Amino acid sequence: MIRHHPDEGLLLAYASGVADEAMSLILATHMAYCETCRAEVAKLERIGGSLLQELAPAPMAGGALDAVLSRLDTAKPFVRRPRTVSRDGTPDVLRRYIGGDLSQVRWRPAGAKLSYLPLLRHGRVAVRLLRGVPGAETGAHHHQGQEYTLVLKGGFTDVTGNYGPGDLQVMEGDMRHNPVADPGEDCINLAVTTGRLKFESPLLRIVAPLFGF
Amino acid sequence: MTPEAPELNALLVRVAAARDRAAFATLFSHFAPRVKAYLLRLGAPPALAEDLAQEALLSLWRKAHLFDPAKASAATWLFTIARNLRIDAIRREKRPELEAEDFLPESQPGADDALALAGEEVRLRAALKGLPPDQIQVIELSFFADKPHSQIAGELGIPLGTVKSRLRLAMARLKRALGEAE
Repeated sequence: MIRHHPDEGLLLAYASGVADEAMSLILATHMAYCETCRAEVAKLERIGGSLLQELAPAPMAGGALDAVLSRLDTAKPFVRRPRTVSRDGTPDVLRRYIGGDLSQVRWRPAGAKLSYLPLLRHGRVAVRLLRGVPGAETGAHHHQGQEYTLVLKGGFTDVTGNYGPGDLQVMEGDMRHNPVADPGEDCINLAVTTGRLKFESPLLRIVAPLFGF
Repeated sequence: MTPEAPELNALLVRVAAARDRAAFATLFSHFAPRVKAYLLRLGAPPALAEDLAQEALLSLWRKAHLFDPAKASAATWLFTIARNLRIDAIRREKRPELEAEDFLPESQPGADDALALAGEEVRLRAALKGLPPDQIQVIELSFFADKPHSQIAGELGIPLGTVKSRLRLAMARLKRALGEAE
């Protein structure tokens, strides 16, 4: 049961195409778990379709139709990329960035209880997988930009509540938290950050940038 | 005369089933100038907007067999094609896209049907036309400005909260139009 969803603004950014690659990845992965948000996005795309219908047409260049008609015979039918087979239920949209299943990730250690894998970076925007053993703490921090965290396996708890598989947490820059992995299984998250994390512990402040956080 | 939603859907189905070039030409005449207008609104230079509009319609020909009128209208389907082409060509980014097979087992999509969808589109466009101008403006900017809401607020000279509340009011009305058939 998913309790924490992206707000309408985020879904609208995804549906309209304003969202960047990092945000589109975390939102699409959330939607692999969440029928409600998928239905919301389908509605927003219908609004996009209606807006397209209502736009005042911009005349095409003379000969545009003939130019395209002449290309039809040689145009190859579109073939969907073959679906790769996941053995542990990792959504395909995410598998393409991992290069395999969650269970195949070659984790990089960041301390005794935490590990991570960078997936994507555009400027200040970074996408990572994060894994914590039960009881692992990230260390109290706030953020320079926003931090979006999607739980893939297990769960975590902080001052804002408890998060399980499919839940998306949105933290604005000035919000402080110290997420702790729930007991039971490892907690695996997909995280997008739009700026550096600001740790309170002096040691973490020195060490974190070495890991690219 | 402007073809209406059911007719456009039927033309697209004919393109898929019979590779019907006349049906394609009608779809081209209707949609290519609208896709071009969409790209121009988003700031594409005219020559690029022209090229991409032609590419979008060529994609329609190449992907027609994937079109399912029970899932989306032709206009909605073409909107998603144009949106993705633009991200590809102008932003040079990939767009991670969820495909129907990607839904996890516990979250199968609900079934829609084509007739209900066509009715929805008529109601949706009526609802769009009935919105107050300040609400239409934020909806259009959300789809056609490629900017975050904070920036839209700055350019309109109104607080972010006002943009969000206008958007919320507009969305509630549009979704009511979408929901009536359910």
